[in-house]
Amino acid sequence: MSELEGRIAAYLAHRMPEASQIAVDDLAQIYGGSSQQTYRLRARWSEGGSEIERRLILRRDAPAGLVVAERDLEFNVYKALEGQGIAIPRVYFLELDPAWLDRPFFIMDLCPGKPGNPFSVDDPYAGHGEAIAREFWAILGRLAAIDHRAVGLEGLRNGAVKSGLWSLELDRWEAILSEQEAVIEPIIRGAMRWLRRNPPPEPAKPAMVHGDYRSGNFLFTPDGKISAILDWEMCHIGDPMEDIVWAIDPFWPITRHLSLEAGLDCWEAASGIMLDRSALDWWRLFAAVKASVIWNTAEASFISGQTSDMTIALSGIRAGHFHRKLILKLMREKGTMG
Amino acid sequence: MNFNIPSAVKGVGELLRTRILPEIGDNYTANMARMATAVLNISANWADNAAGLRVAENAAIRALLGEAAGLVGGGLAEAAQSADPGLRVSELDAENHRLRLLLVEAQASIELRDNAPARAMDQRIWRLLEQIEMARAPVE
Repeated sequence: MSELEGRIAAYLAHRMPEASQIAVDDLAQIYGGSSQQTYRLRARWSEGGSEIERRLILRRDAPAGLVVAERDLEFNVYKALEGQGIAIPRVYFLELDPAWLDRPFFIMDLCPGKPGNPFSVDDPYAGHGEAIAREFWAILGRLAAIDHRAVGLEGLRNGAVKSGLWSLELDRWEAILSEQEAVIEPIIRGAMRWLRRNPPPEPAKPAMVHGDYRSGNFLFTPDGKISAILDWEMCHIGDPMEDIVWAIDPFWPITRHLSLEAGLDCWEAASGIMLDRSALDWWRLFAAVKASVIWNTAEASFISGQTSDMTIALSGIRAGHFHRKLILKLMREKGTMG
Repeated sequence: MNFNIPSAVKGVGELLRTRILPEIGDNYTANMARMATAVLNISANWADNAAGLRVAENAAIRALLGEAAGLVGGGLAEAAQSADPGLRVSELDAENHRLRLLLVEAQASIELRDNAPARAMDQRIWRLLEQIEMARAPVE
């Protein structure tokens, strides 16, 4: 066992006193978002006369990430959504004490399947794009239908808020931007002011928002089924439009595989909620602003030396430019440039 | 010394891509190295004109602020009559941030006014922001 494999085995022994002969191997870091370090591993142990083997995922806080995530949020959401009709991995242990692996982490099942690369010029879903997109929208609809209080998630951000969710989210992203903006970005600031001057219609109801629901953040199996929705670090209560426009953002558009209207039909059928399509334009601009703030944070993390993760560096450069250009395009369409 | 940053950074990137990357067995590390070559390439293409781009951008913002001062007032004309403190990128960025901040404040004031001169100035500010963004586009 490597040093890290040994430390993980020691932790499993601590959490599973009934197990013996615990061994961890095949540990490898994999890409799993930039806010946490993700490792896959194999754990084997003896218990009650049986030999047990599990393929697991370990998610550990990164030294610095794209956004500041609440460290136990993702674990708690996975736990709460078990049995709610949302494809997610089963989670086992959350550890906040840095004594074990230097930073907080949690352990969950390695789900079957693989992520589709939304930036691939080839079909990322191996011929199953339309079926996967329909399931993608249906899962998002089911998520919006869940009563977060009934599953114990009343503590999520905005969990008790009834209206004005758009404003709270805009406040949040503006505050994050202000924290680390070395050189102010007038494009993002101008778009934020426009959003405040032109509020969207209120949603039919506040809903659970994944926060990063898009191509690349779920796994699919060779038979064209979604096996797991991942990366719930930004989950909160909000307007369901937030996830919808994030999914169709031109940087990773699910509309590459199914038209927006067909996707919205799937969402409405699964959620039982009718969408006010007049809100789409506002939320499209919001998504571009939110993305720009995330990339700005990424760039600042790299420049300050908080991280040397090349995904974060490239996101700050390429994706930052892409989304500021998108803001400009959307603002031009609103007539702001004459 | 004729050694320059773009050549050095491009050279290191090329070494990483052609000699080191093929020797990396671990997929995650190899992918990071691949992305590092892209970061180096973009940085090399930015380095040569880093100061020139900022000098031009600062001058364009000052010029527009000077015109906007007629609408906004409040000492904006004086604040915009500055000069770049030096040619280091860090010095130019500090002045760039100061000027951008003034531009944000001026635009926030202008866009609340419902008259033709204000609307025209708001549009000119948005068009300048577009020019700035396109001038800073990463080149790979």
